[in-house]
Amino acid sequence: MEREELIRKWLDNELNPKELQLFKELDDYADLIRISDGVQKFKSDSFDTNIELDKLKKIIDTKNQRKNWLKPLTAIAAAIVVLFGVYYSFLLQETEVSTLASQKQEVILPDNSNVALNSLSSLTYNEKKWDTQREVSLQGEAFFKVEKGATFNVKTETGLVTVVGTQFIVKDREELFEVICYEGAVRVDHNGQSILLKQGDRYIKMDGVTTSQTKTNQQSPSWIENTSTFKSLPYSAVIAEFERQYDIEITATNIDSKQLFTGSFIHNDIDIALKSITLPLNLEYTRTNRMITLKGE
Amino acid sequence: MSKNLHKNICEETLYSNFFKKYADDLHSFLYYKFGDHLNPKDKVQEAFIKVWENCKNITPEKAKNYLFTVGNNLMLNEVKHQKVVLKFQQEKPKSHTNENPEFLMEENEYSQKLQKAISSLTEAQRVAFLLNRIEGKKHKEIAQLLDISTKAVEKRIYGALKKLKEQIHEL
Repeated sequence: MEREELIRKWLDNELNPKELQLFKELDDYADLIRISDGVQKFKSDSFDTNIELDKLKKIIDTKNQRKNWLKPLTAIAAAIVVLFGVYYSFLLQETEVSTLASQKQEVILPDNSNVALNSLSSLTYNEKKWDTQREVSLQGEAFFKVEKGATFNVKTETGLVTVVGTQFIVKDREELFEVICYEGAVRVDHNGQSILLKQGDRYIKMDGVTTSQTKTNQQSPSWIENTSTFKSLPYSAVIAEFERQYDIEITATNIDSKQLFTGSFIHNDIDIALKSITLPLNLEYTRTNRMITLKGE
Repeated sequence: MSKNLHKNICEETLYSNFFKKYADDLHSFLYYKFGDHLNPKDKVQEAFIKVWENCKNITPEKAKNYLFTVGNNLMLNEVKHQKVVLKFQQEKPKSHTNENPEFLMEENEYSQKLQKAISSLTEAQRVAFLLNRIEGKKHKEIAQLLDISTKAVEKRIYGALKKLKEQIHEL
């Protein structure tokens, strides 16, 4: 029998006694046996199947448990988050209502007082503290119909307006600060001065200096009926209001922006509105999409 | 071949038996292929955990192959063909043996030569040869474990032996 065949059979433990004898007579028999014996020292680390199985079962158990734990835990965590969210947003945090350009919105305050927000304005109030303090912060312009009750404060960057059950507007824009009282009485605290406005009184501050008091005989601001009305106001204020109502940009060339304007424009037809603010002053206008250029003569 | 009544191996006794049948083999396979420095025992655990997690999709017939592939991949993720040097048990002088110090020294020298020679084998040769010589596995068993033919196993083992002999003579 061939040498290689013998070795192969030896390797697979298949030698019969006769073949074993032949194998032992091979000249490299000793070498082969020595190698075979020698590699025994390289045996892998002992592996105890039972111990390893116990280990594995523990790991799988904890994994399962972790999964079982995780579900109710995440549910509880989520519930807590939601509760906190509700608590903060509804009870603690201030409520903010804001309008975009060319948008108006009506807000009912917790005591049923009614606020109409003009375009690009925002109103903030604290619902939880409402019972002890009726106070709102205003940016922009709003018409208030305040229910009778405790003092009602309107805080603006420019001044504080205090009222007791009345209807009035507060307008705090870059170009002017305006308060008009339509019913009842309003007190305006501004520049350390305290001014009392009665029904029909109008308080204006322009360019940081000019203050004036005039009368109005309207029942509510015209923008509530989608018209902006101006009475002896600088033309820049008209342009600014126009931009807010139509969400556009206006460039004025060759125009005296301090020129006083009395008139109005409507909020739902830009062409008619443009004509009503340009024709009286003899201005020309060109319109491209959201850009309008006004030109004086 | 016995017909399998089970669609998958999620059933606990089935899974335990599967472990008992293959855990040791997988350990030997990973150890001889990758050495001990990557914790073959941990990889065995990980591989079986993977099998458990996916047990619904694994039929009893496919389980062994899946297991060995996963174990192999777990190792490959950590090592990019670095040379494997297997450790060997140092001979400790025993009071009750007649072996003299020179003999022990010689033995250790021989082991070192053998160690070098083993690490020069190809991965495939090493795994097959050591499973055969150390774990006493028949060629057919190895063929089943590695999913190759008996002929291929024979060739690998014989090739390994031949190479070892040559290497030791050269060293």
